[in-house]
Amino acid sequence: MGRQPKSEADRVHDRIAVLRADRGVSRRELADAVGVHPQTIGYLERGEYAPSLALALRIARFFDLPIEAIFSLDPLPSLSSELLRRTP
Amino acid sequence: MSTTPTQTYLARTFDDERYAWARHPRVRRRAVVAEAALLVALITATLVAGSTDEGWSTWFFVAWTVGMLGFIPLHSLLNLGIRGVLDRDKRSLDEHQRRLGERSHSAMSWPAAALTFAAVAGAVAVVALTEHVPLALCLGFLLWFTSGLLTYWHLAWTSPEEPADLDA
Repeated sequence: MGRQPKSEADRVHDRIAVLRADRGVSRRELADAVGVHPQTIGYLERGEYAPSLALALRIARFFDLPIEAIFSLDPLPSLSSELLRRTP
Repeated sequence: MSTTPTQTYLARTFDDERYAWARHPRVRRRAVVAEAALLVALITATLVAGSTDEGWSTWFFVAWTVGMLGFIPLHSLLNLGIRGVLDRDKRSLDEHQRRLGERSHSAMSWPAAALTFAAVAGAVAVVALTEHVPLALCLGFLLWFTSGLLTYWHLAWTSPEEPADLDA
């Protein structure tokens, strides 16, 4: 089961909000797809809840992305800067 | 195994958006304060009644009945504020809700145990000092009842504000 982060160092950063906006998916739709309540998606996006491994994997599967593209222990760079960095 | 929380009748009621106003932290905390104030008033009334020669009297019976009936709407409001997380079937909760419930159970386990002990000690003390057995039972019940409410109060007081705009 997941947990509430006790400090900033304990926090799991994620890109759920950005990915939802990019794919046009509401919190409710994502919640239904991964089997949690819609509020839990909001808590994840606000960084107030660190998901269980199972939930993180279900979210990664929903977006069809590797888990490390969505979740990180370090602050995630913006997707645009990632794209610029990878463009030759 | 299904990972989706089961939508029981109770879960649907607690998740009903008509009661979204009750989930605001300010409403939840006011419900906690109101329940605590009501309990303090009932405990005070019991001790005052115990200090009289008459003991169990009509005014005390009326105060006790009104106070106990007052708990019904107050606790309903408090439970709506926490989506009934402590009363619903575990299968209807997701991992975050279960975690919140377990955190409050864990945080309040020692205070609840202390209050349960105080309930027994208080009842014995009232009988020893006043010989009013019904009032001793009332005091013991109120303190034991409070020990059961601590988890609800902790959850209602500490639950984070819910994210708005779920369809965005």
